[in-house]
Amino acid sequence: MTTQTTIVSDSPAGKGNDVILRTIGLTKRFGSLVAVKNLNLELRRGEVFGFLGPNGAGKSTTVGMILGLIAPAAGKIELFGKKLDGNSWPLLRRVGAIIEEPAFYPYLSGRDNLEALSRAIGGVPKTKIDEVLKRVNLFERAADRYDHYSMGMKQRLGIASTLLRDPELIILDEPTSGLDPAGTKEVRDLIPQLAHESRAVFLCSHLLHEVELVCNRVAIIKQGVILADSTVEKLVTQGQVLQIRVDNPSPAFEILKSLPWIKSIKTEDDYLIVDAPKDSASRVNQVLAEHNIFASELVNRTVSLESVFLQLTGGDSGD
Amino acid sequence: MIRLIGAELFKLRKRTMTRVLLYVLIGIIVVLYFLLLAISNVNLPNVGQHMENIPNLLGLPLALPFALYILSSFGSVLVIILLASVIGSEYNWRTIRTAVVSSESRFKLLTAKLISVTILVLIGMLIGLAAGFIMSLITTAIGGYKFDFSFATGSYLWDQFVQFWRTFYILMPYAVLGFLFAIVGRSAMPGISLGIGFFFLESIITTFMSLAGGWIARIPEYLLLANVRAISSLTELPQSFGAGMGAMGIKLPGETHAFITIAIYSIAFLSIAFYLFRKRDVTG
Repeated sequence: MTTQTTIVSDSPAGKGNDVILRTIGLTKRFGSLVAVKNLNLELRRGEVFGFLGPNGAGKSTTVGMILGLIAPAAGKIELFGKKLDGNSWPLLRRVGAIIEEPAFYPYLSGRDNLEALSRAIGGVPKTKIDEVLKRVNLFERAADRYDHYSMGMKQRLGIASTLLRDPELIILDEPTSGLDPAGTKEVRDLIPQLAHESRAVFLCSHLLHEVELVCNRVAIIKQGVILADSTVEKLVTQGQVLQIRVDNPSPAFEILKSLPWIKSIKTEDDYLIVDAPKDSASRVNQVLAEHNIFASELVNRTVSLESVFLQLTGGDSGD
Repeated sequence: MIRLIGAELFKLRKRTMTRVLLYVLIGIIVVLYFLLLAISNVNLPNVGQHMENIPNLLGLPLALPFALYILSSFGSVLVIILLASVIGSEYNWRTIRTAVVSSESRFKLLTAKLISVTILVLIGMLIGLAAGFIMSLITTAIGGYKFDFSFATGSYLWDQFVQFWRTFYILMPYAVLGFLFAIVGRSAMPGISLGIGFFFLESIITTFMSLAGGWIARIPEYLLLANVRAISSLTELPQSFGAGMGAMGIKLPGETHAFITIAIYSIAFLSIAFYLFRKRDVTG
């Protein structure tokens, strides 16, 4: 079996019992192409989990396997602590999902689409349709045909459809695609709320800033392999560097370079960029002062999730 | 399962295409009746036995058999379109993933689709029969024929009841073939085009095989068309019309042979369709 190469790992394995989703050694091959390789993920109740990766990284294939649309070549998936197999409707009934993009019957109105869906799922109270339509601000346009909806309205109907079954796990694949800034903010605000209602949210998005704002934890996948699985905070602080400005950078560069606990140092414009352990700013300042070099600026420069993503994926754009 | 059927019926009921297909069926029946009425009022030379039977066709006793005959011939095309589009459009609109994820199982989803279409087809057939009967009343009145309902005995009604189910039975194989092609091609278009294409192409191939003679002429007995026509010919239409379905020199097999052959084809097509639908990944 291929070993999973995880560059950054802080997955919550074993940290809590209320695991909603767990994949163990999940693998999918399409012919000779390995789309997903030995994927191990865990998602706990209350979490908003960001699943990031460039085009063709294996995100949608993973989602497809979780939802029973795609058969894994190896490995297993556990939903709510039970293994997913061919007869998993009671488990999948508790999952709401928008897969890649919302798709509904074009000849039906928004309300009728939800009506058809609620009939298929079963056990959806009559009042639920109005409730979810109001929640996504689509109640006034509920009688309009789906093919007359704007992209933003389609996305919101997609979110409404996931809420219809009152799911414990919500899988959203690009939920803000096609939304205007106000709509994006609306959905972005909605996502953490959904998780707070004792649900878990599995969010695939290429909008890294958005993921950074709403997700507790992210996994970055490339070519079917998880490159990082950690909290957003740890990922961005892990890439944190010190940015130092001194009058004469050359001696400072040599001094800091000789320190064994400095991982790397480089110059960037008038600054020294030092990759040092977290909270080492005062130590760096002290060392420089001992050599009569006084920093005019010394700041912790945090990196964005986007930078981490680009660094890990080798500059591939997200999808 | 019941709720899945309910969902499918809800979608079909709201779909314009369902109503359009029904209007087309009624339109065909109306047009054919008026066409026959017009022809029956024209004296054409050397028209033979077919023309002599036209007033009979327009009369009330043959209203139901004639309507069932129309349903068995034109109905096949309409049912192919309906059944192929029920599954194929799910792929076209990319709703297949939502449909699968919202269903207890793929098997139940496909079964629910088949049952819901079956219900609609039966309703459509009843409406077609009603349209045929109403048209017969109209043409009887216009043509000045006699309104006589003495033919409607228990035995007559039983015969029509049996023929109704026979007609439904022979609609199945081509419709299921269209259904299979839609699943294989993951689109409504292959289902409709190949289903209808096969329906017409088989008729040409069967004719050529029958003309070839020898053992080749016996092959059509094991194809769909000859068996479908063997069942169709059980209708109580005038011989020239009943035989008209097989008037291309095709030797029609026996009733039991036909029933079994059609069942084998239908079960085979359905089994492949279910197998593929359950086995394949649902992507794109």
